[in-house]
Amino acid sequence: MGALLLLTACADTATMSKARDERAGFATVAGISRQATGAEAAWLQTPAERQAHAQRVRAIVQGKTIGAEQAVQVALLNNPGLQASYADLGMSAADLWETALGPVPSVGISVSGLVSGDVSRSVEGTVASSILDMVTKKSRTRAADLEFRQAQLAAAGETLALAHETRRTWIEAVGAFEAAGLVGRAQGAADAASELAAQLGETGALSRADQAREHVFTAELAAEQAEARLEAQLAKEKLVRLLGLWGTDTDFYVPDSLPALPGNVPNRANIERLALENRVDLAAGRLEMEAVAARYRLNGQTRMLSDAEVGAGVEIEREDGETERSPVVDVAFSIPVYDTSGLISRRGKLEYQRSANSLAQSAINARSEARSAYTAVTGKHQIALHWRDQVLPLRREIDEQALLSYNGMLTSTFELLNDAREGLESQLSAAEAKRDYWLAEADATAAIWGGASDNGEDE
Amino acid sequence: MNRRQVMGAGIGAGAAALTVNMGQAETRFRDLPEAASTDSPYTQVPPRPTTGIEYNPVVTLNGWSLPYRMNGNVKEFHLVAEPVERIMADGMIARLWGYNGQSTGPTIEAIEGERVRIYVTNRLPEHTSVHWHGLILPSGMDGVSGLSHPGIPSGKTFVYEFDLVKSGTFMYHPHADEMVQMAMGMMGLFIVHPRDPAFMPVDRDFAFLLAAYDIDPGTYIPRVAEMTNFNLWTFNSRIFPDIDPLVVNQGDRVRVRVGNLTMTNHPVHMHGYDFEVTCTDGGWVRPEARWPEVSIDIPVGAMRAYEFDADHLGDWAIHCHKSHHTMNAMGHELPTIIGADKSRVTDMVRRHQPGYMSMGTAGMADMGEMSMEIPENTIPMMTGWGPHGPLEMGGMFSVVKVREGIAPDDYSDPGWYENPPGTQAWEWTGELPEHASNDSPETILTPRGGKRLG
Repeated sequence: MGALLLLTACADTATMSKARDERAGFATVAGISRQATGAEAAWLQTPAERQAHAQRVRAIVQGKTIGAEQAVQVALLNNPGLQASYADLGMSAADLWETALGPVPSVGISVSGLVSGDVSRSVEGTVASSILDMVTKKSRTRAADLEFRQAQLAAAGETLALAHETRRTWIEAVGAFEAAGLVGRAQGAADAASELAAQLGETGALSRADQAREHVFTAELAAEQAEARLEAQLAKEKLVRLLGLWGTDTDFYVPDSLPALPGNVPNRANIERLALENRVDLAAGRLEMEAVAARYRLNGQTRMLSDAEVGAGVEIEREDGETERSPVVDVAFSIPVYDTSGLISRRGKLEYQRSANSLAQSAINARSEARSAYTAVTGKHQIALHWRDQVLPLRREIDEQALLSYNGMLTSTFELLNDAREGLESQLSAAEAKRDYWLAEADATAAIWGGASDNGEDE
Repeated sequence: MNRRQVMGAGIGAGAAALTVNMGQAETRFRDLPEAASTDSPYTQVPPRPTTGIEYNPVVTLNGWSLPYRMNGNVKEFHLVAEPVERIMADGMIARLWGYNGQSTGPTIEAIEGERVRIYVTNRLPEHTSVHWHGLILPSGMDGVSGLSHPGIPSGKTFVYEFDLVKSGTFMYHPHADEMVQMAMGMMGLFIVHPRDPAFMPVDRDFAFLLAAYDIDPGTYIPRVAEMTNFNLWTFNSRIFPDIDPLVVNQGDRVRVRVGNLTMTNHPVHMHGYDFEVTCTDGGWVRPEARWPEVSIDIPVGAMRAYEFDADHLGDWAIHCHKSHHTMNAMGHELPTIIGADKSRVTDMVRRHQPGYMSMGTAGMADMGEMSMEIPENTIPMMTGWGPHGPLEMGGMFSVVKVREGIAPDDYSDPGWYENPPGTQAWEWTGELPEHASNDSPETILTPRGGKRLG
């Protein structure tokens, strides 16, 4: 259990065996990735790799019903756009690799289910934590390493964004199939009423107008059902694109319905801290500052300021060594402050200020996005629970009573079927609420690890 | 049930009161008479009077007569208008308004020429009044609130006092917020016996009021704003199969008094006999003004009493002849399913309602035979079992049971009548004779002497 996506070192062993030791972080990750045998090599560089990879993807998808984690896995393995990003990484890494480090990173993952609530066990979580693990490693070749690590983070950002989009698309596709199924059941109830109307037309108990009323309802519902089915097919086709599939590989299925609503949403009061610790874009911002400091040869960092302090206007450029701090937040995102006394170029100062402020802004945004995501996921959960635990039981009660009423010859079969149809409408709304919850859940994951498009607000 | 078993304390107090002299009575009776109450929905047969003028008390179907006391020469009653729970049939309780614990209220019985003093205590949440339907009395006692006297406010007791100037069949009901209070079940019989026991004597004297309610299946309280679509048609707020039978000894002279406080007429039809109306709420009908009937239409807001000699043994249906009035709550918007092939539909519906049963394709008698679960507090539309199968009845339906050897005061159910051999319809299993048939809608003249088959 547990999805593992690992940036690991597929060592170009002919040249750099030493590099593997130097990349101790990779070695650790590679150890964990043993479980993921056969599902690694994602940066496909040789025809043999491509062929082997195609077989692996085919084994996962062809003729199978794939879950959210599997969809994310296939996307990360197979999405051509992501491959392009990895190629960028390769190019930017090339210099470094040629001189010192050797192995180029690749991505490996293993299968897991959609694990509700445990953010560290999602594909995204594993990707991000592995990357952060690497980028925080000190390097001996600082400048080249910084650039490479930035490139890694950029690739990781792309990876997470694709994972997030794939997960949302999977949820939307499955939700669309679930909705189409429910519309189909409503259609079944309407069909029964239509059949009865036809029978009563034959016996002479129902006028042509009343028969037509039943038939037209069924006919209209048939159009709605066609619409719902089409929507589901198109949603699945979007998933196909993200998974980078074509030909017979598109011959896979998604489940008929989304997983049941979990009983409660795990308490993520610490979501702000999780985001600050884990967001890949924040890590990239820190690296950017490090890069600026390196470029202008600033002498080591003198202290740390929180994002809130930067936001509140605490001086970033300290020249006299004094410190003033205003601890206003529980969880601080630390922004390194370098001794800028040696800076003489105005350009250097501005660039430094820019990166510090933009990092502070990113951190503040990340806090807000995390809070929004948490509010959304708890709110959507409450709404979906309300549909499930309040509305649907009432609908069941109505259905039960409708049958009793029919039994007593108090109401007709038409009314019984009408109640059933209205019950299905409620089920449809309940299914939509459940889908919205899972989307919010996916967004919350993105808010913690990064990867949400448009600053984590996808809708 | 018989006269010796019932009517305890109230009557006892009344009888005891007769022994005290006037002086004591004035002291003792400064208080209200006891307000008797009952929670039983079964017929309580009143005892015959042991003192004073002799009369034959009426048997109120699924009802009772209000105990009284004599205060000097005034007969005193205490009516309490109050919310009640009426068991309309086993398995159905109606939350109504009534009098002294029941709806319909207790029957008031008195004797022509008596002076009555009726205390009316209002325990309803709104004012009420009592109109004494058909009685000749002073204008200020007529019970039309606002017109005759102020309404009786909630929590107050008013006194009505008047002389009973004639005998006959009468009733009482509110004339304040009348539509609502009558829709809630407020009504009762008022029987004035002739002073002369030899005038219009009968052996058995039954009485009931026709009342209609609109109590939606699954509910308990009537919809008071209803005017036409009532779904419960009752004798004394009671429905078949739990209306007590009219038990009669063969040869008895029998009177049945019926009052109609619903919003439609009821042709009350009794099987097995022909009979004549002898009394209306306007008074006794002269013999030369009567004609024979088997169905008596009881107009809205009117009463009819008919009499017959119970010569014919048997179980004889008595019911309103409007066929919807011998049904319990039913759906009036149901399409006719007769003749439809529902086999496919049934399978389709069961996908949504697994408990769905196909009914009605051969008529609605399935209903009487299948006992399927229906909404709570609801009696099936057609129900009841007799000695030969389901009766498929409801509402205004009971049975007149004429037997040999029923003791004079015995009204207990003698069970089902056993048809003597050869007097019951039987199944023909031989070859069928040729039967006539006609597919022409034209008038066909029958030749004199009839038309012989074969």
